[in-house]
Amino acid sequence: MTMMQKYIVDTTLRDGEQSPGMAFSIREKVTIAKTLDALGVNRIEAGTPAMGREECRAFEKIKLACHNAQIIGWNRMNLNDIHKSIDCGADIIHVCVPASDLLIREKLRKTRAEVLDNLASCTEAIHAAHKELTIGLEDASRADWDFVVQLIETAKNLGATTLRFSDTVGIMSPSVCKSYLSRIPSEIDIEVHMHNDLGMAVANSIQGLRSGAKYADSTLFGIGERAGNCNLEHLLIATQGQIDFGISLDELQWRQNTLKSIIYKNKLLYA
Amino acid sequence: MVTIIDRTLTTFNIDGINSQDLNHFCGLLFTCGVTKIELASELVSQLEPPTLAGDSGKYIDNSTCFLTQVINTDQTISWKLEPNELIEQTLHISQINTISHQKIRLMGWEDLITRDYLSIFNQLLNSDADTLDLCPSNQNHCATAIALEWIMAGGQSISCGFANRHDFPPLEEVLMGLKLRDPKSFSGDLSVLNELRRLYEKISAVKLSKMKAIIGEDIFKVESGIHVDGVLKNPHTYEPFSPQTVGNNREIVLGKHSGHQSVLYKLKEQNLSDSAASSILKQIKGRCTQLGRNLSDLELRTLASEVQNDYDAKIYC
Repeated sequence: MTMMQKYIVDTTLRDGEQSPGMAFSIREKVTIAKTLDALGVNRIEAGTPAMGREECRAFEKIKLACHNAQIIGWNRMNLNDIHKSIDCGADIIHVCVPASDLLIREKLRKTRAEVLDNLASCTEAIHAAHKELTIGLEDASRADWDFVVQLIETAKNLGATTLRFSDTVGIMSPSVCKSYLSRIPSEIDIEVHMHNDLGMAVANSIQGLRSGAKYADSTLFGIGERAGNCNLEHLLIATQGQIDFGISLDELQWRQNTLKSIIYKNKLLYA
Repeated sequence: MVTIIDRTLTTFNIDGINSQDLNHFCGLLFTCGVTKIELASELVSQLEPPTLAGDSGKYIDNSTCFLTQVINTDQTISWKLEPNELIEQTLHISQINTISHQKIRLMGWEDLITRDYLSIFNQLLNSDADTLDLCPSNQNHCATAIALEWIMAGGQSISCGFANRHDFPPLEEVLMGLKLRDPKSFSGDLSVLNELRRLYEKISAVKLSKMKAIIGEDIFKVESGIHVDGVLKNPHTYEPFSPQTVGNNREIVLGKHSGHQSVLYKLKEQNLSDSAASSILKQIKGRCTQLGRNLSDLELRTLASEVQNDYDAKIYC
């Protein structure tokens, strides 16, 4: 049986570090990024440049230290943030768009139409800087499907290469994941971003990949907000012999182990 | 009604367990929605009322038996013991048609998610088994998903274990999955899960991960500015279920990813002045990066007074 070829987007340095208490210095970020690059991770989401000068310096150093992986800068739908990502040398500019009415109404305090306008106004600068644009649908699993379709259309028209489908609060099941993803048209690459709130991040990522996604997001040790993100080691274990991510499980296990003291500086967090 | 079997009491050394903890543990399992508790026959003698008198000792021949809860006509609760008649089998998919009129517990099948599991479930549901319980292995970290898909497909019985130090689907994840899918038909009360976790840690002498799905102590802590902003406006934005549902609490904590809103919120929460908030935030970010952890409330008070004294001094000098 031939194995499916798929790719990893590692977000240890962005969503992973957002886990309460987790914090990496510039040097630690570079060490983690170099390890991920050596492992064969395709894309590394290195952080949120809008956080400040430290984060931007980390990006510049990571960019120099990594030879193969593309470096993603994560952004809110905000032109200032995006300029910071462009300036610090990220290869891919990722723009996160709240997709559910809950987030649009309660957090952004905006309307769907304003979200679409806002998104459109952000992308020109990215193309002008000749950067690759990827768009993420935050809370897509709780969003109204009509609006998801509209956002996907918009993303394609705005020249995004990849669409990230996020189960932001980790409530999907594999069959729900399959039914959503199989409805997304094939003209855009799909990336799935799964959280582990119900303990199903690995299963949902697998189902996403089997339903047409090209990329799966994951983190080392599965760190991330609340119960964490899809754990890269677990994903590799579960897909052995079925999916080829270009990453060796053995190598991941020993390299991940060398990073344990950086990631869990505070022993209390680890159990 | 789906049968949910809990196997936790078969997964660790129960020599040291006292009668009070055992009965408390079983009571909490029933409260959160378990239908049958599988336990070693040696433990039966330690069960106290409400177990029906006369049952003890009856199933001593089997290695494990089931404890069930019955609500009587006068609303009192009784516990009953019944033998474990399930025959454990690890079948290959091609052997499904050999199943016949038996009470079977299917083990293994950790890789179902990477297969066409719905058609496999259909074959199972159309087999001649009298009882078909599924206890998928968690070696591929997909047992919860397999368990929930099995029940959604029409499976009538599932075996789980509390937390994740065994090879079964984690009970708390399966229960929450069922509750979120169909809140009306779910009758368990998951707010006892926090108490259950503490008791489990006591009797198993194992500390669970603070970020364990559903029961981790820290899963409702929020640090990053973006999430704090959302959660303060409406907690549903970044919570799949409320902390109270599982007997936990939400906490805004300060760290490297804190934003301006978080500092203002925490200063107010601690009855501190909000002057020099930006300088305080800068200090917090630096210290937390060094420490690799959040700042405690006491540390915030100290930091705030240092920064604010300094700030006031500058103004008046």
